[in-house]
Amino acid sequence: MADYSIWVLEYAAVEKFPFSVMMYGPQHQGTRKLPYAYVLLKGKGETILIDTGYDHVAYGEQLATAYGVSNYHGPRAVLAECGVAPEDVTSVFITHAHFDHMGAIHLFPNAKFYVQKSELDKWVWALTLSPEYRFLTGGGDPADIVRAVEAAKEGRMICIDGDQADVLPGIDVHLAADTHTYGSMYVTVRNDGARDGEDKWVFAGDLIYTYDNLTGLDPEAPQIVPIGLAVGSQHNLIFSSAQMLKSVGGEVRRVIPVHEDRLRTTFPSRLTDKGLQVVEIALAKGEESRVG
Amino acid sequence: MDKTADSRADETVLRYVAAARPVQQLISDTLTQVAGFALLLMTSRNRAPLAEGALAGAREAAMRASEAVRALAVPKIAEHHHHHLRAAAAALLQACAATLDCLRVDASEQSDALVRMLRSSSDHLRTTARLLPGFELVDFGQACCAAHAPQRLLQNVT
Repeated sequence: MADYSIWVLEYAAVEKFPFSVMMYGPQHQGTRKLPYAYVLLKGKGETILIDTGYDHVAYGEQLATAYGVSNYHGPRAVLAECGVAPEDVTSVFITHAHFDHMGAIHLFPNAKFYVQKSELDKWVWALTLSPEYRFLTGGGDPADIVRAVEAAKEGRMICIDGDQADVLPGIDVHLAADTHTYGSMYVTVRNDGARDGEDKWVFAGDLIYTYDNLTGLDPEAPQIVPIGLAVGSQHNLIFSSAQMLKSVGGEVRRVIPVHEDRLRTTFPSRLTDKGLQVVEIALAKGEESRVG
Repeated sequence: MDKTADSRADETVLRYVAAARPVQQLISDTLTQVAGFALLLMTSRNRAPLAEGALAGAREAAMRASEAVRALAVPKIAEHHHHHLRAAAAALLQACAATLDCLRVDASEQSDALVRMLRSSSDHLRTTARLLPGFELVDFGQACCAAHAPQRLLQNVT
């Protein structure tokens, strides 16, 4: 029986997203839907999120009109689909410091936040460079960092230095340095509690956008193909992807890319009345299904 | 107001926007940097001294921004915007000073002041983004939603 119930919860989407960004290389292969989602885990007395999403109040209109992000719903409405309120969230793993992953810290007033030290260190360094290097710091919102400082002041922001096992029971984090961002982090949930058990799930953040990053597009000749957006290197993205895949014995579906629309057909899922997908990856003992 | 006067007023505002935008960007970048430094200070104090050079640079940038804000020619219609830009720069300078205080003394009084100044600068900056177009604070070009944006923005313009 699983220790944690796990859901991937869509909160917005870009309906037509260029495939060439999801995967480095295919320049003329059209668009796919890119869901925006975060992961909810419940179990062992904890209610945990992997990433927070962004704050629509701050830049929702700009995102909607200029970037085609549609159907945004805040965490109160989204988490309610699983019977959870933002105030219930006890811990949040921030996979990286982009606005769409840590832009809603202030909406989780009781949570502790975990982020990689190098994500902050190198960002501070990159900001000392002259404006022509601004690609390296794009996607960040000063208000998010100020909110992170406020959380730190309250003892709710915890910096992790590299890989760390059992940050919470059965949950390990791993640094994927110089990949999508300087200090991107992926999260492993050992859902049977065993060190080398088989019921393991990896939450990839933006290290991959789609299962195709792990398999390539030719089933006859599988290969790892990195995403098309990185401040680090494709080399590091490939090897971190390989590491994630290896840790789950090569079982592709156990490496979860939250931006993958096919999660809804890979796992049990349902469409809410707001048009958002709820994907159910695991159910802990005593937990009721939210997709049945 | 006749058409010529209208057009002169528009031109003044455009000139203000063109001059104020880089200043706002400088304040925003510097605020992020100081906030990042503050975060290092509060989460792993022993590593913060490694970034002291960055803080010195940020302080210098904050002073430059403050001077640049004062030097702006401000048309009547942009006075409210300028008020918040000036307040953002002033709070940023105070945040730099508060960060130095925090480095010297590890006490909650110092860190309270630092958080307050960072919050104040951030709030004023956010207000500037709302008051006039072209002052958006986040460069979405690096976000996964936005790699297709240049075409979309172009479509919006043409």
